[in-house]
Amino acid sequence: MTFALFVQSAIVGVSLGSIYILMALGLTLMFGMMHIINFAHGAVYMLGAFVIYYIFFQGGAPYFAAFVASMILLGVFGYLVERSIYRPIKGGIEPTLVALLALTTFLQAAGYPVFGQLDKHVPPVFPGTRNILGVGISVERLMIIPVAAALVIALYLFINKTRLGAAMRAIEQDKEAAALQGVNVHVVNGLAFAIGFALAAASGALMAPIFKLDPMMGEQPLLKAFIIIILGGLGSVPGAILGGLMLGLIDSIVATALGAEPAFLLSFVFIIMLLLFRPTGLFGYAS
Amino acid sequence: MPRKLGVSIVLAVLVILALLVPELGGDYYVHVFALVFTNVILAASLRPSLTCGQLNIGHSAFMSIGAYTSALLAKNLAVPFEIALLCGALLAAAVGLAIGYPSLRLRGVYFAMVTVAFVEVIRLIAQLWVSLTRGMSGLSGIPKPSLLGMTLTTRASQYYLVVGLAVVILLVLWKLEHSRLGLIWKSIGMGDNLAQSLGVNIARHKLLAFMLGCFFAGTAGAFYAHFIRFLFPPEFGFLMATNILVYNYVGGRGHFVGPILGAIFLSLLSEPFRGSPYETIFFSIAMLLTILFLPGGLITLPGKLAELKRWRAAASPTPSPAA
Repeated sequence: MTFALFVQSAIVGVSLGSIYILMALGLTLMFGMMHIINFAHGAVYMLGAFVIYYIFFQGGAPYFAAFVASMILLGVFGYLVERSIYRPIKGGIEPTLVALLALTTFLQAAGYPVFGQLDKHVPPVFPGTRNILGVGISVERLMIIPVAAALVIALYLFINKTRLGAAMRAIEQDKEAAALQGVNVHVVNGLAFAIGFALAAASGALMAPIFKLDPMMGEQPLLKAFIIIILGGLGSVPGAILGGLMLGLIDSIVATALGAEPAFLLSFVFIIMLLLFRPTGLFGYAS
Repeated sequence: MPRKLGVSIVLAVLVILALLVPELGGDYYVHVFALVFTNVILAASLRPSLTCGQLNIGHSAFMSIGAYTSALLAKNLAVPFEIALLCGALLAAAVGLAIGYPSLRLRGVYFAMVTVAFVEVIRLIAQLWVSLTRGMSGLSGIPKPSLLGMTLTTRASQYYLVVGLAVVILLVLWKLEHSRLGLIWKSIGMGDNLAQSLGVNIARHKLLAFMLGCFFAGTAGAFYAHFIRFLFPPEFGFLMATNILVYNYVGGRGHFVGPILGAIFLSLLSEPFRGSPYETIFFSIAMLLTILFLPGGLITLPGKLAELKRWRAAASPTPSPAA
């Protein structure tokens, strides 16, 4: 592997890692508050990408507007899922997981009749390449990094500086105590669903111009996000960020050297080893 | 005991009906029902793990291991069917040990995530190891099942084989569930801290339940391989894994019969659109509706209906004048 190829795959790795971080942050946020894993996260990623296809490519709206629309539409969808699936189950973790799994397979399967059998493509939004350290990098991939960073910072500020963010942290610490202090647990959980879904939609929307679109496209990012949160520890935000970057780099560098599938197998072997020796992940805590 | 007698009569009728399928229907029905019984084995073998409160979303991976192992042994090394099947099941259980040991010590969600990722791992291995599995071209030319040196050439004889396998496996699982071990599994599922405080080694029992499931899933996979005689890596993906889970939930988690009922009911109902996206749509809607409106599954339906009747009778003691 030459130096140029290494730099190139490292930058692509960071850009890929940014997508993984957005996915993993939503998952970890929802886990921290409700102790559930959102299996529908991959399907939401897919829907986020298809919103870009229909609003930006077919509808001719500006990319930025389509991006925001994708986040808002799927954020609302997330809130509705909390209302119609999570809330009626009343906190039963296992039934919720299974219901979210069913929602995933439903959205994926329904995608074929609704979106059509053929793969869809979204034309590049930021065409061309940029020269970095003597290596050409596609601007499309570079743009992911600042957008994802902005979203992560916005999420950080929201959680740490606003009243609603404080309510989310309160629920994470103790749901009953938060409710006794006047936090409307249902609404705040709904908000967590909305934020998680919106972040997944943003990831899909960012990737739409890069990868082909099909109803199963969310499966890989979902599995990657699972590996990241096992790696970083469930419920840990720094863990999700560091884990995301690590996996992005592994994915890009190992994939360039050996191919995409061995990269995935390797990361799976890695988390199994990690679970053997450090069961709570790199940053997780025992609970 | 009339209740016990009733149960025996129902069981006897069911077994006779099952055995009559090849007599009454053509090869198509034999084929469909053989797959139904394969699904019954898969669904029932997931139950011990679920009873322990472990959400295994990767059961199809172990079916795949059993299927490929048995098919390759029989095809390439001419190993007799019975031994190939046993090797497939044993390898599935051994892999279950390797995956379960690190992940079962943790909270259930870790295990659930590891099993989901594992489905993909096995699919990729089957897809990439082309020299062994033929990858995406699919593995064909798998020998038909045989018993004591006699090849089971007819569809009907293969069907009787899977019915026999299902009956034996269900008996074993039923015995286990009603033994001391079954009680321990139940206690872990109801509250693993409490079970642990009473001296139950929960990690070991969860692992045992999981490996047992893997063993029988491997058995079902091995039969499937020699019955269909063609293996294709994506078949054993995420969708099949969720379907096995759906059988358990829709049928009902509270009773041994639940997964069996779920597997029979859903496999037969989804038969008209097998292989199309509508099959998955049907399964996921059935699952969502069950969880939201009938959390106990189909087996609680008669009780619920009786309750509804009682409630109606109590609500209107006299016939309403409008009616």
